[in-house]
Amino acid sequence: MADAQSRPEGSRGLLWTGVTVVYAAIMLFPIFWMASMMVKPNDAMFARPTQWLFVPTLEHFSYVIEHGFHWYLLTSFLLCTVSTALVVIIGTPAAYAFARFEMRAKDDLFLFILASRMAPPVCLVIPFYLIFAKVGLLDTFLGLTLAYMTFNLSFYIWVLRSFCRDLPVQLEEAAALEGWSKPQIFRRVVFPLLRNGIVATAVLCFIFAWNEFLFAFMLGGRAVQTLPVSIPKLITSQGVRWGEMAVVGMTALLPVLAVVFVLQRHIVRGLTLGAVKG
Amino acid sequence: MTKPGERIFAMASASDTITTADIPPKALPRERLWYPYLLIAPSMLMLVVVSLVPFLYTIYLSFHAAKFGRVTDFIGFDNYAVLLTDARFWNSIGVAATFVVIAVPIEFMLGLAGALVLNQNVRGRSLLVPLLFMPTMMAPIVVGLLWKIMLAGSWGFFSYNVLERFNLLEGTSVFASPEYALYALIFVDIWQWTPFMMLAFFAGLQALPLGPYRAAAVDGANPVQMFFHITLPMMTPLLAVIGLLRFIDAFKVFDTIYILTGGGPGISTETPSILANKMTFEFWNIGEASALAVLVWLAFFVFCNAFYQIAKKRLNAF
Repeated sequence: MADAQSRPEGSRGLLWTGVTVVYAAIMLFPIFWMASMMVKPNDAMFARPTQWLFVPTLEHFSYVIEHGFHWYLLTSFLLCTVSTALVVIIGTPAAYAFARFEMRAKDDLFLFILASRMAPPVCLVIPFYLIFAKVGLLDTFLGLTLAYMTFNLSFYIWVLRSFCRDLPVQLEEAAALEGWSKPQIFRRVVFPLLRNGIVATAVLCFIFAWNEFLFAFMLGGRAVQTLPVSIPKLITSQGVRWGEMAVVGMTALLPVLAVVFVLQRHIVRGLTLGAVKG
Repeated sequence: MTKPGERIFAMASASDTITTADIPPKALPRERLWYPYLLIAPSMLMLVVVSLVPFLYTIYLSFHAAKFGRVTDFIGFDNYAVLLTDARFWNSIGVAATFVVIAVPIEFMLGLAGALVLNQNVRGRSLLVPLLFMPTMMAPIVVGLLWKIMLAGSWGFFSYNVLERFNLLEGTSVFASPEYALYALIFVDIWQWTPFMMLAFFAGLQALPLGPYRAAAVDGANPVQMFFHITLPMMTPLLAVIGLLRFIDAFKVFDTIYILTGGGPGISTETPSILANKMTFEFWNIGEASALAVLVWLAFFVFCNAFYQIAKKRLNAF
């Protein structure tokens, strides 16, 4: 209804634009404030009343580098890339199958996938911890990759299925009449059309893994430390390192900033598990 | 020579002109029934390992005496009995209920209002929409950090400039206050999730058909009437699905609470998630923690199923 229904009058559109801009500015102010704290000297940070102007410093950055936080960044990046790649490889055929083929107990299987996605991570971390301790997966990269499958594989199948359903089935029917085999149809017809959906869903998976805290905290131990897990480490016995936390927090935020701009149309579909097409 | 793909695409567009009656009912031959099962096998196997096995193991644990990582005797429903008579458990349910019952409706109303505003000819949406999404898409742990900074005792920007200015709180962080910490967490949740509601509802508004609005405009309906008689009825399934989804998610909030209050002061912000985590990794009372996890899980299945049924039947989404 949007543009056609609302009147094309300039002034009203401008008013609502203004309202939205002011709202966004207020909502995003905390992020701006944290960004400023990256280069804020400690005395300015704790000043009362609030000090707006200060001489920028790089001390927080140097502390973070000295204490090896770039390794946590690398760990995060590797873990998210590997687990997302695995999700795409095994999840894509499944999503396609759920969208296109008749199967027995399809509804129940599908609900099982949804339940995996929705299960509270706290409930999963208990059995994971004990099972991983038994089979030697605790504090390993592989263990964490597996744990991330719970929410990301189920998410991926569920959302990519909604992308699959958007594809016109006639293309596949035509290819089948041509005598193409099913793997051929998948590779040459479905996959090229589905590429955007795959990328969008995979990027969302990457972000969920990137943002994940509990599993990494409890199952990664000291061996596999991701960026979110490193943040509470800056609450030290000598006090809280606020500036350093701001640096790490903003670093963790950067990929998200990139993703919201690139994926904007697909985020709603992703976050609503395909219930709303963005 | 043309690539084989192009011919297929050309054929398909030609077949669009044929009426459905001409197409044989089984256009995709079903000679190989095992094919779909083959496609889903790796994923289902993986999900059985990472989702079903942990769930069954939790049920197993909940019926056993398990402390300090050692699983010993089968004790029937004892863990459940202990849990259900534990005041701390009921406190956590109360905290979560307060949290959800206050936060979700506010997010819902603000989100709907925001979506209606955004739907008025707002310019620069391609810039504004992604920015508005930031709070929802960023790591919950960073959201917590952000508000730890803004609401830090004495020097926090929001503490000093708002709370102290209006004599609401002096010197300490609001997260250290037993009465207000929970409301501060609710505030943070609203900040984090209102954009999600807003942009999901906005997407729903954008997808509404124009016809009814044209007809209503011809009949001289005003915008308020249009909202209550056209927009709201058409949006109801979507509102229900999004509300339910948010409701489910709000119950399992962990990261932000963990970094902001850790369930404290005392047990004033201790949700079942925080409690289960403490039971496991602080008290090492794994049997009781598992019993709690099983109860939470069962509650989730109910809501999860409701979400699925509504989304499928009313929204035709799945």
